[in-house]
Amino acid sequence: MPFTDREILETVRMIELETLDIRTITLGINLLDCADPDPESACEKIYTKIVQHARNLQAVGRSISEDYGIPIVNKRIATTPISFVAAASATDDLVPFARALDAAAKECGVDFIGGFTAYVHKGFTHSDDALFRSIPRALKETAHVCSSVSLGTTKAGINMNAVARFSDVILETARLTADQGGLGCAKLVCFCNAVEDNPFVAGAHIGTGEPETVVNVGVSGPGVVRAAIAKLGPEPDLLAVAEIVKRTAFKITRMGELVGREAARRLDTTFGIVDISLAPTPAAGDSVSDILELIGVDRTGAPGTTAALALLTDAVKKGGAMASSSVGGLSGAFIPVSEDAGMIEAVRVGALSLAKLEAMTSVCSVGLDMVAVPGDTSAATLTGIIADEMAIGMVNAKTTAVRIIPVPGKGPGETVEWGGLLGTAIVQDPGKFSCGVLHRRGGRIPAPIQSYKN
Amino acid sequence: MTRFLTSEDVRRANAHVIEVEEGTIVTAQAQDTAREAGIVIKHRSGSSYAEPAPSRGPDASLAQRSLPHLPEPPMEGELQSFTGVVVTAAGRNRPGVLAEITAAIASTQASILDISQKVVEGYFHIVLMVELPPGSGFAQMKSTLECMGGPDDYVVRVMHERVFRFMHRV
Repeated sequence: MPFTDREILETVRMIELETLDIRTITLGINLLDCADPDPESACEKIYTKIVQHARNLQAVGRSISEDYGIPIVNKRIATTPISFVAAASATDDLVPFARALDAAAKECGVDFIGGFTAYVHKGFTHSDDALFRSIPRALKETAHVCSSVSLGTTKAGINMNAVARFSDVILETARLTADQGGLGCAKLVCFCNAVEDNPFVAGAHIGTGEPETVVNVGVSGPGVVRAAIAKLGPEPDLLAVAEIVKRTAFKITRMGELVGREAARRLDTTFGIVDISLAPTPAAGDSVSDILELIGVDRTGAPGTTAALALLTDAVKKGGAMASSSVGGLSGAFIPVSEDAGMIEAVRVGALSLAKLEAMTSVCSVGLDMVAVPGDTSAATLTGIIADEMAIGMVNAKTTAVRIIPVPGKGPGETVEWGGLLGTAIVQDPGKFSCGVLHRRGGRIPAPIQSYKN
Repeated sequence: MTRFLTSEDVRRANAHVIEVEEGTIVTAQAQDTAREAGIVIKHRSGSSYAEPAPSRGPDASLAQRSLPHLPEPPMEGELQSFTGVVVTAAGRNRPGVLAEITAAIASTQASILDISQKVVEGYFHIVLMVELPPGSGFAQMKSTLECMGGPDDYVVRVMHERVFRFMHRV
């Protein structure tokens, strides 16, 4: 027998019981050649090109899943930032571009399409300005479109004018989708050091260095890592925990490598990257919070949580790096509060505060994700929360992000139910002090000295 | 560079027949506009317009050439040239389980190359390395076997051997 029984049953168990899956196959499509001075023509080209490339994406994903027995949960599309594509068009209203993306996603049967995006970390072009103005209505009027903005980088510093404007965009998006608990904001994210090949939404888009088309794979398996640490038990030391996470991450990433190669072959395109991110879902056992508690904190958010998360994220990256030469995207551990049953419980019992979440983002691979705050949170407070997150990313040369939802009509401790993958959230309290003067000053936080590397 | 023909282009052409270069993508809206106005769109060669195959980009053909050469984890021992499926079954032990599963495999004309079975505390698991007959599909084996058993009985899973090689070999 070329494999031992133990190896075979381990693989079957990971898939059947421990929720190992390919979280997404994301087809990236360049849309720069869809630019047109007539916005209606540009939108026609965008719709047509996306459908031409992605119409068989669902079928290919299904065929790989059937052939290999690995669940491929989502098939998604990522595009060039629309602010680049729309720049040649004589219009200030980019909502039709969002509608074109939405219609194309619907035609291809995908649930999300990322790319309603602008890079404003150094300043705004006319097209970036138009995109910012269009985001709230675009997210209200479409079902499948995700939007993202780059507000800072280690090289450029943080554009605080853009941060302040983005706070207003978040509040307006929440207001326009108030009937859904501010759900529009769940499709909206800002970045420091945005990655150009992230296959996960809401931040997925195809950056400026990417090829004409590319397939990027997001593989996930918090349940698998959780089971491995649970089996280890509480006695072995932290080096042993790191080792078992690394070995498990290797195995998980190998699935992503296999699926990525197959997807590229069957879609006749370039294999981009495997993003090995432990991305939780509300399903039982599929929780990053559970992993942290098995590593040894009483509750996620208690002292020791940041250290545990640092160990976890690093071990995941190391195992992934051995498994594939194409590791990219975000790769690490996600902490989306509403999408992780353990995190929601930790917030509910008062163990996990906003301040602790911020500390955790300094060592995990994403940022403040799916955090609900009161609907009457001021723009200044949002600016402060975002600026803090951008600063962590800028100084530490890592990607950080904020996906925050001010829930209209709700206050601290109240529950909002979005359902499905977006889960349940408990509104968290950002505190009664804010940063009005910082918010009104605007300007730029300059790039830190460690970025002067030439 | 992708060439498009949009509905604005159709309106501006002001002609009964529009000829496009090979490789031009006529948008869906342009096709509707042309149809409503009785305009015919055809290739310069004379054939009616047909949507070209998607052009995946300059890197795609390079990628397709290099993909087969990416090293894969090796298979060891006697089964070095094995390219088949791994069938696993697990569930409550009872007389006849192994016979049912091997009979189902036999019905697909597949060949069992190796088999391992254990029973622990009333539950069994069976692992079979199965070579598919030439011309036979994975999908057929999968659909034949995975509907066997049932709740309180057993579960069968069929997976490509490549999954295990990728996960457990460096």
